[in-house]
Amino acid sequence: MKFDMDYIAHHNELSEFNPYIKLFITIITLVVTLVLDNLYFDVIIFVIMSVVILTIAKINYKSYLKFLSLPMAFLVITCLFLLFFFGKGQVIYETGLWGIVVTEGSLHYCVYTFMRVMGCLPCLGFLALTTPIAKVLHCLGTLKVPKIVIEIGLLMYNTIFIFLNEIDTMQKAQETRLGYHSYTTSFKSLGALASTIFLRSLDKSETLQFALDSRGYSGELPVYEPKKED
Amino acid sequence: MHIMEGYLPIQWCIIWYVISFIVVAYGIYQIKKIVDETPESKALLAVSGAFMFILSSLKLPSVTGSCSHPCGNGLGAALFGPAVTAVLATIVLLFQAILLAHGGLTSLGANIFSMGIVGPFVGWIIYKAFTKANVSSTIAIFFAAFFADLLTYVATSFQLALAFPAPTFSAALVSFLTVFAVTQVPLAIGEGILTVIIWDRLLAYKPKLLAKLNALSPNEA
Repeated sequence: MKFDMDYIAHHNELSEFNPYIKLFITIITLVVTLVLDNLYFDVIIFVIMSVVILTIAKINYKSYLKFLSLPMAFLVITCLFLLFFFGKGQVIYETGLWGIVVTEGSLHYCVYTFMRVMGCLPCLGFLALTTPIAKVLHCLGTLKVPKIVIEIGLLMYNTIFIFLNEIDTMQKAQETRLGYHSYTTSFKSLGALASTIFLRSLDKSETLQFALDSRGYSGELPVYEPKKED
Repeated sequence: MHIMEGYLPIQWCIIWYVISFIVVAYGIYQIKKIVDETPESKALLAVSGAFMFILSSLKLPSVTGSCSHPCGNGLGAALFGPAVTAVLATIVLLFQAILLAHGGLTSLGANIFSMGIVGPFVGWIIYKAFTKANVSSTIAIFFAAFFADLLTYVATSFQLALAFPAPTFSAALVSFLTVFAVTQVPLAIGEGILTVIIWDRLLAYKPKLLAKLNALSPNEA
């Protein structure tokens, strides 16, 4: 499933933990990792955050590996790219192909960028895997992010999951009718899918507005915050 | 393909955050004005944002077999204008970072700048220019979507070249442009075609809405 990160965020040992502290930890660790830009620190933060995610939040190691592997292809490609095409300084290694060389400068870029991303990913993962989006938005709301943005965000979050179900059904229907058989038909099917979703979404927005209005919506969605169990 | 978490050095994260913040703040001001005038447009904005998110999670059939997705920012800009699209793109990018590990929090500012500001703004200018010249809106939306998608990646190349200026800024820019922008051309054409198909349906089923949003050329309205 594509959105199992949302499921994980709702079902782990830390999902009831104070979201402000989680947001604070994430931002501080990210900023410190970027500011220090130190290889040893990158490794340390990677290990610490991974341990926190795996043992304290008790997230399945398979899901965690999957989370790490998502940006990995892009990361490896761009780092190799940095390694071979961003020469500066002394030549360390010659590939013998079209004069492409590895230099001190490019090796530095490659290693430091790779390690920095590896240090930052678990920090993002700590927030993404343990905190439901609604709580993140709620936090941002009390941190003076305009109310209108938070509201649109919350309404959006609701709608995304409704759409996903519909898309799933429609895509299956299209597939059973050979809708993705060739290149041209898949374009047609995808266009039909997207436009149908958009038209549905317009209807949905109307219904949503009526539903909100009829329940006395005045521009704010009060959310029940359950008391913590001791 | 957004810039990932931790990819940019800290000074560039801050610079892009500051630039994006100004534009997004203006967009929020615009949204507030729209919502004050017509309160029922809030749900429309939210649902359009969700549509942008969903569109970016659909896989575009691509020639190279790489995983690529439509940005949807050209369509958003043609419908709502660039400032509002910037705000929607900000929320979409935040969701993508937290729900899909796509992009990141530290690189959020840079990603907003490329996907939420440069792309939609260029798309919007092209769309307005074409419709002002009385070209049919279907052709206009193709070029708007094409350039919005392409310029998003050109902007990304600029950002990366500024962050990694080796051996020189221009050499870095050329390398990044070859990787990101040139390979993106077929995908941008794909997004253009997809957007035209969507637009055709909209034109057939909801012409009144498009006219109300002021998104049609004079002879169609």
